[in-house]
Amino acid sequence: MSEMSSDKTTKTDRVGVYICYCGGNISDHVDVEAVRNRVEKMPGVAVARTEMFMCSDPGQEMIIEDLKSGKIDRVVVASCAPSLHETTFRDAIKRAGSNPFIYEHANIREQVSWVHHGDTATNKATVLIASATAKAKRLKPLDPIRVEAKKHTTIIGGGVAGIKTALDIAQTGIEVTLIEKSGILGGQLNHLDRLAPSGEKASDILQEFLDQIVNYKNITIHTNCIIENVTGYVGNFRLDVVTKSDNKKFNIDTGAIVMATGSVSYTPYDGEYGFGRHEQVIVLKDLIHILKENKSSGSVLEVNGKPIKNMVMIHCVGSRQIPGIHKPKENGKLNEYCSRTCCAAMLNASNQIRENFPGTGIYEMYRDIRTYGRGQEALYTQASKNKVVFMRYEADALPEITPSPLPDYPLQVKIKDSLTFNEEMDVPVDLVVLATGIEPDDVSGLASMMKLPIGTDQFLLEVHPKLRPVEFPITGVFLAGTCQAPMDAGEACNAAGAAAVKASALLRKGYIELDPFVAQVDIDKCQGHGACVEACLKEGALELIETTIEGKIHKKARVTAALCLGCGACAAVCPEKAIDINGWALKQYEDMVDAIVSDGFAV
Amino acid sequence: MSLVTLDFAEELKEYCGDNAFECFNCGTCAAICPLVHDNFPRRMIRYIQVGARQKILENSDELWRCLHCGLCTQTCPREADPGEIILGLKRFVVANWRKS
Repeated sequence: MSEMSSDKTTKTDRVGVYICYCGGNISDHVDVEAVRNRVEKMPGVAVARTEMFMCSDPGQEMIIEDLKSGKIDRVVVASCAPSLHETTFRDAIKRAGSNPFIYEHANIREQVSWVHHGDTATNKATVLIASATAKAKRLKPLDPIRVEAKKHTTIIGGGVAGIKTALDIAQTGIEVTLIEKSGILGGQLNHLDRLAPSGEKASDILQEFLDQIVNYKNITIHTNCIIENVTGYVGNFRLDVVTKSDNKKFNIDTGAIVMATGSVSYTPYDGEYGFGRHEQVIVLKDLIHILKENKSSGSVLEVNGKPIKNMVMIHCVGSRQIPGIHKPKENGKLNEYCSRTCCAAMLNASNQIRENFPGTGIYEMYRDIRTYGRGQEALYTQASKNKVVFMRYEADALPEITPSPLPDYPLQVKIKDSLTFNEEMDVPVDLVVLATGIEPDDVSGLASMMKLPIGTDQFLLEVHPKLRPVEFPITGVFLAGTCQAPMDAGEACNAAGAAAVKASALLRKGYIELDPFVAQVDIDKCQGHGACVEACLKEGALELIETTIEGKIHKKARVTAALCLGCGACAAVCPEKAIDINGWALKQYEDMVDAIVSDGFAV
Repeated sequence: MSLVTLDFAEELKEYCGDNAFECFNCGTCAAICPLVHDNFPRRMIRYIQVGARQKILENSDELWRCLHCGLCTQTCPREADPGEIILGLKRFVVANWRKS
């Protein structure tokens, strides 16, 4: 804190500036050598060098040598966007034995050479480097924030993703608590029969998982429990849990949280494809239940005691909905995504029926067959062999279900079949099965407690679908399974494995290091107004505490570094300028602005 | 519009084999056919698949344009033997002509 008290902190005059050609990406538009000549003359710059690729080994070695020889003690690299190589150069500085936070980055590719040309580009590159250099002169060595982390993970949701995450984390020796809101583990697997495409029984897979769980003493399971509140931060979360049966409250202290809250099946609205109006219209989940319970084998499938001579399976119900065509839900939302699992599940059920009850005919009415995964296309081929008749409808002409004029059939399905040259056909049926899609379980309460992002499709949203697929922007909170997107059991287990590895890697050392770009209070200057506490966006990150100085009680602001977002809202409102952000100090900004507005550099 | 006849495939077995279900609607037969346009013989085979019995009777004159050159059978990637199917359909139509 003493460091903060002096605005007069001496500025260094040993900044090293390293300007990258990016193999022509920058140098085709920016006169890199001219920039170097100007930068070299800037006050405080000890060396200015160029390189074809600064991120290459020779480029990094150049920086390391200059640091080691003592020529420089601050580093500015002017190259691509910091998202690409900021870490590269901070690591290089670490390898030279210096503090990685004496580094500043100037983006002269995305912000200059890709959008400007000629002198304009060269001048703007110079200005950006001048401002980065001005900031670099005031940079101080910083230490990462070290937070003690409880070697314990809590998994919310006891479906297949939650169970698999629990097992994989428990294997690494970390304690696991699994919280399930219903009375049993297994989630949607409890409602499935034979899983596509392998044909394994869902109950067998579930049983194998449950047998494994028993072997781990470090897994605690709470069923019938609701989470009332989540507080704390990475390594030190606290969950307030209440049991549904006797309203008993208890706490769980945990280092990391995995959301495995799963999904539900779409419920058709009253009258959608005759659902709710005709008892012969059922959803795929019901059909799977019927097949699971059915012990008889005859030539014809029987449903509710009635023989099914012919049935229609309609794909994409509650999935791939189109604005203006499909009816939105009460909240105005449409499920515009593909639920991915229904095509294979429908074909799987069709094959089971055709192979066990050859007297039952099947028409599958689809928009597109999306058998995307390994072994799934074979299901489609098998269904064709089994003489399942495929008919294709377009979204603007949905099949219609009406009572049949034939005495032998209760219903008929009218379809404009694009495989029969858009001719309209009436198919008489005993049964209509709707392939209802996947919707995320409503976890908006939990999500708002933990500030977790929700996508426009209402599923929980990861940081990046490819680079960080099982992480939330809230450090220490992960996600797995169908709370994120429609997945089959195999994909949910893949995601669970990934989330387990991320959680274990985070907690295994027992402490976590966070970036030091957080607010810091100058105790001497702080008058305890509390304006910063009011402005603070993150609950618990800033508070006023009473402290005794020379026998008198004073109020002073205190930062909980692990919670601070580093947004700077506090620094903006403090009348005493007694609070500032490490690595992004006000004085540093002022110097950057001075450098930008001073004509001297860019000429 | 046409009402699908569910047991049509069964009825047709008397007149031709059930190769029609090998067809995956690629259209090669219709492309190679030198005589008749408008998706012949592809459309007829599709009618068998879905059970559009009435449609076949309604459009039966198409069947007699076929010269049985055999190009469709030679080129069919699924060995559905379209030429033989057309012959079978002729037998079916003759047997059912103006019955109703």
